[in-house]
Amino acid sequence: MSRPLVLALGNDLLGDDGVGLAAARLLREDLPPHVDVEETPTGGLDLLDWMEGRERVLLLDAVVSGRHPPGTVLELTRGDFKTGSLPSPHYAGLPDVLALAERLGIPFPRDLRVLAMEVEPPRELGTGLSPVVRAALPGFVDRARRLIRAWDPAGAGGPRAAPPAPRGTRSPGET
Amino acid sequence: MNQRRVTIDPITRLEGHGKIDIFLDEQGEVERAYFQVPELRGFEVFSLGRPAEDMPQITSRICGVCPTAHHMASAKALDDLYQVEPPPAAKKLRELVYNTFMLEDHALHVYILGGPDFIVGPDAPPALRNVVGVIQKVGLDVGKKVISMRWRLRELITYLGGKVIHPVMGLPGGVAKAMDPAELPKFKQLAEDGLEFARFTLNVFKDIVLKNPAYVKLITSDTFTHKTYYMGLVDANNRVNFYDGQLRVVRPDGTEYAKFPARKYLDYVAEHVEPWSTIKFCFLKPVGWKGFVEGSESGVYAVAPLARLNAADGMATPEAQKACEEFFKTLGGRPVHHTLATHWARVVEILQAAERIRELVNDPEITSKEIRTIPTAVPKVGIGVVEAPRGTLFHHYETDERGLITKANLIVATQNNSARIAMSVDKAAKGLIHRGEVREGLLNMIEMAFRAYDPCHGCGTHALPGEMPLVVALRDSATGRVLREIRR
Repeated sequence: MSRPLVLALGNDLLGDDGVGLAAARLLREDLPPHVDVEETPTGGLDLLDWMEGRERVLLLDAVVSGRHPPGTVLELTRGDFKTGSLPSPHYAGLPDVLALAERLGIPFPRDLRVLAMEVEPPRELGTGLSPVVRAALPGFVDRARRLIRAWDPAGAGGPRAAPPAPRGTRSPGET
Repeated sequence: MNQRRVTIDPITRLEGHGKIDIFLDEQGEVERAYFQVPELRGFEVFSLGRPAEDMPQITSRICGVCPTAHHMASAKALDDLYQVEPPPAAKKLRELVYNTFMLEDHALHVYILGGPDFIVGPDAPPALRNVVGVIQKVGLDVGKKVISMRWRLRELITYLGGKVIHPVMGLPGGVAKAMDPAELPKFKQLAEDGLEFARFTLNVFKDIVLKNPAYVKLITSDTFTHKTYYMGLVDANNRVNFYDGQLRVVRPDGTEYAKFPARKYLDYVAEHVEPWSTIKFCFLKPVGWKGFVEGSESGVYAVAPLARLNAADGMATPEAQKACEEFFKTLGGRPVHHTLATHWARVVEILQAAERIRELVNDPEITSKEIRTIPTAVPKVGIGVVEAPRGTLFHHYETDERGLITKANLIVATQNNSARIAMSVDKAAKGLIHRGEVREGLLNMIEMAFRAYDPCHGCGTHALPGEMPLVVALRDSATGRVLREIRR
């Protein structure tokens, strides 16, 4: 069985855009040995390279939806992505990538979750997180930890651990 | 004046948040449409005091889409800073990586990003104007071919560049790694397959786009046409070059206006600021800023595939040259002013990139171990330029005698194009919206005007939300009140 992957997306030269990367660095400190953690500054089709052949993937990302206050942590599963999204002028988003993988028969994670933190759009080049996002980071990391523990096949991650999903995804409440 | 304002706010993803404002007069006719993108600030401040040698790594991290373009422009700026000429093999290795990047990035645009407009069709329902729609149209096998080719091209970039993202190959005076002759057969095979893929892509484009009279009519329609200056890098024979050469500018009638080395760019390129936008609009300094207008009296110019084909006398490789001749013959001769022809020009460039890759991997010098000239000069000013997939990219650094940055400036492709993009959006809006009628299809056509440029907005790297909600707000400009809102 392939190793579960935590994949952090973001650019740490763009302030809060790097919140997923910051979370990944904290997660590495006490990671179960059977889980991989990777960081990437790209999105779009590069996600194919990262996720192909994996069965369980947790994406950590920053998001600007404008619908939540900065620092809000959103948890999404495959069912939450709209299919038939409109093209971006730049590159394919996750729903496009999922649709593409499905069409082309590329083995893709059945259990794919996303933890994303709402941030303000970064306007200035620079490292470091804003105070709001920094304050929300521990909660973000805890949520990720709980999801990772639930992946542990032996359930050794602690009392909150749950068996891995047999297929598809589960709603946030079930984790 | 009782203006009404329509706002198209199409991109909520971090990687780009563009906005179109359309002001309608009392009759519902478009008075003026504005396209603006927030500019990423702070590059200069961020760079100050850093060692110049770090810039190829830092600048390639700015953008998750064009890391290789920034890396190469930066490495060339360092060559210039230290007044050092890389050995021929080092230049060829850089060019090999660069053409590979160009082929991959252009193919991605043709099939995935621009494809929905042209392969699926501008009038197709929104649910089909995406990658799934493209695959339905071209077939599953083609989709698999695109993905596999992309993977193999990136393997070559990774081999020489260290990483596709954050490449580490370019150093002042050369590159970090030579080509191992043992690896060469694999890349020679890739070059053959890449060329086959490029030929195939040209055929796909011809079959689907050029055989459809409605598309050709759209491409050549006045709504998507602007007679401006064009800029692009050319080699010693005035042929298109992505990696090196001189910058050539042609007038709206296609005659040469200027040809200059990167070092002189400030003599030719200046920036104009408008009160309604934070973006800087580049224009040709000697011609001057005359507003958002066409013609030889106006300094507005364009970069990117269409501009490169217009600014050169032809392509540097035989098959691309043939495709280029057909391009100009079909569209009525040089220069071509139809913005949507950019998609076709991109396919012609795919062919050149593929042919050049094949030339380079078959060049005996490509495996030479002479890949670095050690710099000894005292640094002061370094300026580098490449043709990024989206157009001319300038990197300009100044340092103290220890090589620590004292001044840094970037002009990215979208900045070069910004005035013409604004004009394209304005013209499309004026041509398509009448009597206040704002339909879904019309909005897509207006978006097509800027999608052809593949504008680069920001530099985040996000997968989510992965959709492009289009919010159109009709506003009374006097009060700012929303009169009507359309979402899709």
